[in-house]
Amino acid sequence: MTLQTLLLIGLIVFSALALLSRDLIKAAISFAAASLFLGIVFFRMGAPYAGVFEISVVAGLITVLFILAVALTEKKAEVRESPKARLIFPLFFIVFIIIDVLVMRGLIRKIPTLPAEAETGLFGQVLWGQRTFDLVGQVAVILAGVFAVLALFRKKDLDD
Amino acid sequence: METTLIVFFLVLPLALAAVLPLLGRLSKRVLPDILANAVFFVLVVNAFVLGRRIPAGEPLILQASWFGEPLGLRMAVDNFSLFLLLAVALVSLCVGLYSISYMEHFGSKPAYYALLLIMVAGMNGLILSTDLFGIYVFLEVAAVASYALVAFGLGRDEVEAAFKYLMLSVAASAFILISIAVIFFMTGSLALSDVARSLAAMDAGPVVAVCSALFLMGFGLKAALIPFHAWLPDAHPSAPAPISAMLSGLLIKVSGVYAMTRIFFHVFGLTPALSMVLMILGSVSIVLAAFLALGQKDLKRMLAYSSISQVGYVVLGLGLGTPLGIIGGLFHLFNHALAKGLLFLNSGSIQSAAGTRNLDEMAGLARRMPVTAVTSLVGSLSIAGVPPLNGFWSKLIIIIALVQAGQGGFALIAVLASILTLWYYLLFQRKAFFGKPEERWKDIREAPFWMTASTVVLALLCIGVGIFFSPVVAAWIEPAAGVLGKGIQFVLGAWGL
Repeated sequence: MTLQTLLLIGLIVFSALALLSRDLIKAAISFAAASLFLGIVFFRMGAPYAGVFEISVVAGLITVLFILAVALTEKKAEVRESPKARLIFPLFFIVFIIIDVLVMRGLIRKIPTLPAEAETGLFGQVLWGQRTFDLVGQVAVILAGVFAVLALFRKKDLDD
Repeated sequence: METTLIVFFLVLPLALAAVLPLLGRLSKRVLPDILANAVFFVLVVNAFVLGRRIPAGEPLILQASWFGEPLGLRMAVDNFSLFLLLAVALVSLCVGLYSISYMEHFGSKPAYYALLLIMVAGMNGLILSTDLFGIYVFLEVAAVASYALVAFGLGRDEVEAAFKYLMLSVAASAFILISIAVIFFMTGSLALSDVARSLAAMDAGPVVAVCSALFLMGFGLKAALIPFHAWLPDAHPSAPAPISAMLSGLLIKVSGVYAMTRIFFHVFGLTPALSMVLMILGSVSIVLAAFLALGQKDLKRMLAYSSISQVGYVVLGLGLGTPLGIIGGLFHLFNHALAKGLLFLNSGSIQSAAGTRNLDEMAGLARRMPVTAVTSLVGSLSIAGVPPLNGFWSKLIIIIALVQAGQGGFALIAVLASILTLWYYLLFQRKAFFGKPEERWKDIREAPFWMTASTVVLALLCIGVGIFFSPVVAAWIEPAAGVLGKGIQFVLGAWGL
């Protein structure tokens, strides 16, 4: 239980750091660390598939993409934020945590826990046999993302 | 046979979208134009054919299998979803035809059509889904495509609007996902019928209340109900006109109103408290957005606020929950999809001809653009609820339903706001089309063929549905309302394994 609490605290701290950090590279790395904590939580709660996805895709692949994108941006593009904007997030964050604790305290006792069972079946079977419809949706999301990039980064060709 | 027809709604647009950028290398304009519109046309025909085969009040269920092994791919069509599939197909066909001319100067037609097709596939997938997570995934499919389409013009405003839209939409998705997670924890299932059965069996009042509130915030954001509307007046006007028509005409209704209605009616069951919350949110949206629309100088912003107001009518009718209220709400949803699609397309014609969206700068365009003037008059009067156009009948049904249910106060709000609506649409007509044309508009010409043709089709639909409202309501709306009226019994009986 203590380890679980520590993992969850780590997850929240690194998530907050990812949002608050002024340096984009540090933000990307904090985000990766937060996903790592989340991945371990998934493993410990008996959801190895979710854990593998979280660590390989979010902590690994997406971080690489973020860092590549940051490397491509120019220094001069930096914009100064108003001090108000820097205050609003921490304030909102604290209020959210308080509301979250209050709501969850009431809610958690009312939700019956599911009987704990480890995920069964082979990885492919779970994805292909049980959640095929979502798989079609995921393919569509990826397609949409690819075409969005194709469409939104076309400006250079037009200008030429 | 029927199952193939159901699969078409999802697979056809998705398959074409996947190959379109490759085909675009062969032909940059003509091939994408023809293929995309052919798919939209097939979907319209498909909806009509399927409509004849669907038994009234019963769903058609498709359970896919792979070499005899059942897959986790289940889709269902009932009269409620079929009616929305028809609305999506009809408006996207008109939008596709309009894009043939309108998107010429934007460039990159293959990517544009690919995104539009994915958006349609996302909406169709959401409508066909029988599972909470499926609804969420396809909601995201449509949303991701729409972010890119809002930013398609690549101007500063477009990109900013897309970013704002993305941020608020992510918040909406988070609310929806949290609620789905809580429901999964409670019931151990995601299928709508299983969840409905489990929730009915257990005493889960407070948790259902929290989940309802989360869904209300999530889908309320997607439907842009006040107070969750902040993104819409930026996002819808910034997109290219045909995309504004898709967003205002369809997307807010499918990913907001449809998903919310399906879950509240068929999974949770509409409680009196939830019904009252929906009615209050609906009326607040109707009134506030109407006042906000009145003050707009930008034509597309005015139309965007008007969308919020009209979605308010839909939610008011559905929230009332009586059979007549549901019929009114659904009919208004359909009519608004046609009329608002038409008006946004008109706004695109005006913008591309006159180069402005500012109502104060326009005058006397009717002489230069007669077809656009007439079709936009039809759209305006339809939304304002002037007889015998389609919008009149749906508003009348909602008001009669409210009076019958003893909700005189809400009925009065609906009537008074309708007068406000007429006011701002007449202002738009007077400023844009009437009066003496200025010298600088003397060279303006009517919009190109495909742009005017698609607006004429929509205007004729508005008039046709208005005149033949009785057979339209009997054939499409009443069966859909009947399915909703059955409440959770419908999914328990028909969708159960």
